Amino acid sequence: MEKEQLKQQVKEQIIKFLNLNNLKPEDINDEEPLFGDGLGLDSIDSIELIVMLSREYGINIQDPKEGRKVLTTVNTMVDYIEQHRTK
Amino acid sequence: MFIHQHICISPQHTSGDVDLDVLNPSANGQLTAIEPELTGVPAGLLRRMSKAVRMGIGAGLPILQQNKVDGIIVGTANGGMNDCIKFLNQIIDYDEGMLTPGNFVQSTPNAIAGQLSLITKNQQYNATHVHLGLSFENSLIDAQMHLKEKAEGNYLVGAVDEISSYNYNIDLLAGWYSQNIENQSFYQSKLPATIAGEGAAMFLLNNNAYDALARVKDIETFHASDIETVKARFKIFAEAQNLDSETTIFLTGENGDIRFNPFYHSCEAIINDITVARFKHLSGEYPTAVSFAVWLSVFALQNKKLPGHLFKTENNLSQLNNIIIYNNYHGLQHSFISITSN
Repeated sequence: MEKEQLKQQVKEQIIKFLNLNNLKPEDINDEEPLFGDGLGLDSIDSIELIVMLSREYGINIQDPKEGRKVLTTVNTMVDYIEQHRTK
Repeated sequence: MFIHQHICISPQHTSGDVDLDVLNPSANGQLTAIEPELTGVPAGLLRRMSKAVRMGIGAGLPILQQNKVDGIIVGTANGGMNDCIKFLNQIIDYDEGMLTPGNFVQSTPNAIAGQLSLITKNQQYNATHVHLGLSFENSLIDAQMHLKEKAEGNYLVGAVDEISSYNYNIDLLAGWYSQNIENQSFYQSKLPATIAGEGAAMFLLNNNAYDALARVKDIETFHASDIETVKARFKIFAEAQNLDSETTIFLTGENGDIRFNPFYHSCEAIINDITVARFKHLSGEYPTAVSFAVWLSVFALQNKKLPGHLFKTENNLSQLNNIIIYNNYHGLQHSFISITSN
């Protein structure tokens, strides 16, 4: 899958898993922080995203420090998915 | 026990600008609630809320924002059943593996009272009653007991139930509901079924008669499957209320299901000079629908009238001061509530 295609898919999945019904994929900037000032996600959302990576891409993040780096932006998520996906 | 504020979210125009003259129709055997826009709820919380929680917050939060309360008491038969089923399905789909907490947290019945408490930082008594068709009545009785112990207390009491697709389908298969019935005509349906409804109603209760909207004078609940028991208990209840036919409405939970009509008709016969009104063509049937009836009663006592489509018998009222509510759920859980203007 092309990187741009994967980005689009990840954004759609973020919206679906986190019930961000008022957002469209194009509203999410690739470099925008997912937590804090950007999308304003919180700790419960981080669990949802980790579960999303596991269910959709077969990626199991065990180390919280690693999770923090992976879930920084859409770009960091996509890079990690490309390198570690098992499905 | 006196009612000082009340808010109702229902399939009809009951919140904001109340308009009961216009009857919203059911669709596919369901009357779904009109949700108001929620203000004062953090966006992160809002997007995770199930419909049951949103309705409960929508009805309860405005009252809590204006009043300091000594307790939040909510009755709900099923809580956020839709989210509960989503969570249970996740357990199966992912083989008891990685599960997310959102659906689970939102689906527990006490999520409604809990969220109201968390949003308003209210750390007082917080209880949820889950006794199916008597959940709301038991919430009222809980508040009544608290007000006997703490006479100066202020309590938010209410009820919430949502239509969940899972429960609806089960109830449809079990024959409780029919998709061939419409709320405009369901009293004449002659079918052993009714239509599903949902909603939330919240009330501010205390012992202060001054400026009260209405008084909850009496509540009685019981389980029975036979008409004779219901008739005997209703006779005693009605006699104790000293009913005046010129000032009283008998508001029944008749829902078009021919299996339960005899319960209502028998009670109507006991007080046959009292004007009869019905409410379930507005609310639909759900376990805590009686909370809609209490809201409607307070509204009627305030406005001294009800729209014509609510009346079953000729309206012989010269003034409206009392409303007697009789509701039963599935012909097994029965309640009588007496609401007076003061």
